[in-house]
Amino acid sequence: MSDSEKWAWWTLGVVALTIAAYGAFGAFLGHGPATFSVFALLALTSVPASSRRYFKGRRSDEREQQISSKALRAGFSAFWLAFCGFIMAIYFTKGWNATLTVPVWALMETLFWATTLIWGVEALTTIVLYRGGPHA
Amino acid sequence: MPSPEAEIVNHIRRFRFEHGEMTQDNLAKQAGVTRHTIMALEAGKYFPSLLLAFRIARVFGAPVEQVFEYHARESD
Repeated sequence: MSDSEKWAWWTLGVVALTIAAYGAFGAFLGHGPATFSVFALLALTSVPASSRRYFKGRRSDEREQQISSKALRAGFSAFWLAFCGFIMAIYFTKGWNATLTVPVWALMETLFWATTLIWGVEALTTIVLYRGGPHA
Repeated sequence: MPSPEAEIVNHIRRFRFEHGEMTQDNLAKQAGVTRHTIMALEAGKYFPSLLLAFRIARVFGAPVEQVFEYHARESD
């Protein structure tokens, strides 16, 4: 298994853990700072980057770079789709001239969910491309 | 534009055999790629850039057209 694939599995695990923790905290403690704090788990995605091999300057080859760029594109495409869907949903439910009052925590949480989505889709696409398709 | 999937074949496995059973790892190091990329190339699942094709051919000391073959289809 290549380093990129290991990173993808690790990231997918962190994303799954974050979602599960958010659900569990939300169910038992309700919505509050404790539930919001589970997003700190996303910091675990940086653990593979701190490995010795990374700091040794190991470079990826052309196939790995192609997979990596395709996965990143898939992640941002998913974000863009979700963003457009979200805006359209607000438009259809609230109307064109509605004014929204949004608490700061909601904005921050949206940002963290967007990051979770991008990393999740990127990791999933990386795994799929390593296991099948033209780059396997 | 024709799809390259069915038309480019490589003889990396044979060339490795002819070079004293050179390991995939050894070839990968000399060509500057990972062993996984060599595995994908031999399995015909990945098609290299021109640069990588030339680098692999250079490792074997052979012209690139001997290591990689292009089979034109009737429709080309």
